[in-house]
Amino acid sequence: MCSACGFPTRPGHWTDAGADTAGDRIRLKLSRARVLAKILTPYGFTAHAPGQVPGFTLSSFTGKTVIVPDLEALWDAAAQQIGAPIDPLDPRFTGDA
Amino acid sequence: MTATPKDNRMRLTILGGYLGSGKTTWLRHQLFAGEFGRAHILVNEAAETPVDDTLLTAQAAGVTMLAGGCACCTGKDALVAALRAICDARSKDQTVTDRIVLETSGLADPAAILTAIRQDPVLVHHIIVSEIIVLVDTLHAADQLRTEHLSRAQIEAADRVILTKVGTAPPLQIAAVAATVPQMNPLASVSGADMGVSMPLDNLPDAAPLDLPPLGRDLTPITPTRIDIGPEVDWASFSVWLSALLYARGDDLVRVKGVMETPAGPLLLQAVRKSVQPPELLPPEAANRQNQIVFIGRGYSSAALRASLVYFTRL
Repeated sequence: MCSACGFPTRPGHWTDAGADTAGDRIRLKLSRARVLAKILTPYGFTAHAPGQVPGFTLSSFTGKTVIVPDLEALWDAAAQQIGAPIDPLDPRFTGDA
Repeated sequence: MTATPKDNRMRLTILGGYLGSGKTTWLRHQLFAGEFGRAHILVNEAAETPVDDTLLTAQAAGVTMLAGGCACCTGKDALVAALRAICDARSKDQTVTDRIVLETSGLADPAAILTAIRQDPVLVHHIIVSEIIVLVDTLHAADQLRTEHLSRAQIEAADRVILTKVGTAPPLQIAAVAATVPQMNPLASVSGADMGVSMPLDNLPDAAPLDLPPLGRDLTPITPTRIDIGPEVDWASFSVWLSALLYARGDDLVRVKGVMETPAGPLLLQAVRKSVQPPELLPPEAANRQNQIVFIGRGYSSAALRASLVYFTRL
């Protein structure tokens, strides 16, 4: 368990595969935070990838902040606050609107 | 974190198929022929009185019976407990077989079992599901597929579909089933068997696929979409996109499978509904093939899927 955040990184989440070295992992995390920022900002969320602890923090515009261990948990936390999952096939993401 | 062929996890083969599709017969012959080596066999029967285990004991390293409840719903706890016991035994003694074959009851949805294993905090470290084999009874498939949602769900979840009773079913009927399965699950390989002995599926007459009426919640037919992923899509944005897609649309996505280039090497991704199997790192030789993911599901258009991926990757 990480003594800073209390999270055991749930081993084997599939999104964490694909980056074996420490450098790759941090690069992956930072570029993910960039993608997440673009997707989440319209919903009033900000996502951060703190460098030294696993996972992400997800903050809503009210300041409510949760620490999530992986991307799946992040979408879950966002869905709980919005009331419905963020759907990538929503017209706002597919350009049909 | 990434599953490699050399890790020490046990390989689990899930054998499914509708009631009476010939699962025990097939498995018995495969064990006799040495197909699974000396695997530990788990047999699940929905009925209270087990009979299948007596047929299987001879060739297996061990047989565990799970009677009285289907392993994908009411018997899930019993399944998890039995698998944990097998993992325990192996942790104590590494010479114990590392192969498990689970023969599900005819009422089980293999995807639900996959999810149960993935969600269990112990089993996820010990077991990797190597293959989902689904048997389809060519004599009765036409009726089952027309009326039973479950028989469709089983085929949709399969890696390998084996058409059984091809020695007795009329060739036209076999041909119709053989034409239907790839429509439901284009990723699965299809072969034939009779009494467990594999039989060729060539020399079949031309037949149109079965006309399957919509059932219950799957009102729209499932459609396969292949997305060729260009070099501009990196693993970071792709994983964000796919995780969001599976979270929001997992129940509509029957199957996702493909190869994606990552910083660590080409990764084989596989998902059945919401549950993603631990990705496998492929040897670097696979790297020169193009990134390509196949989505099989319903309730969305292929164009929307592509447009959405473009939105996520274009910063």
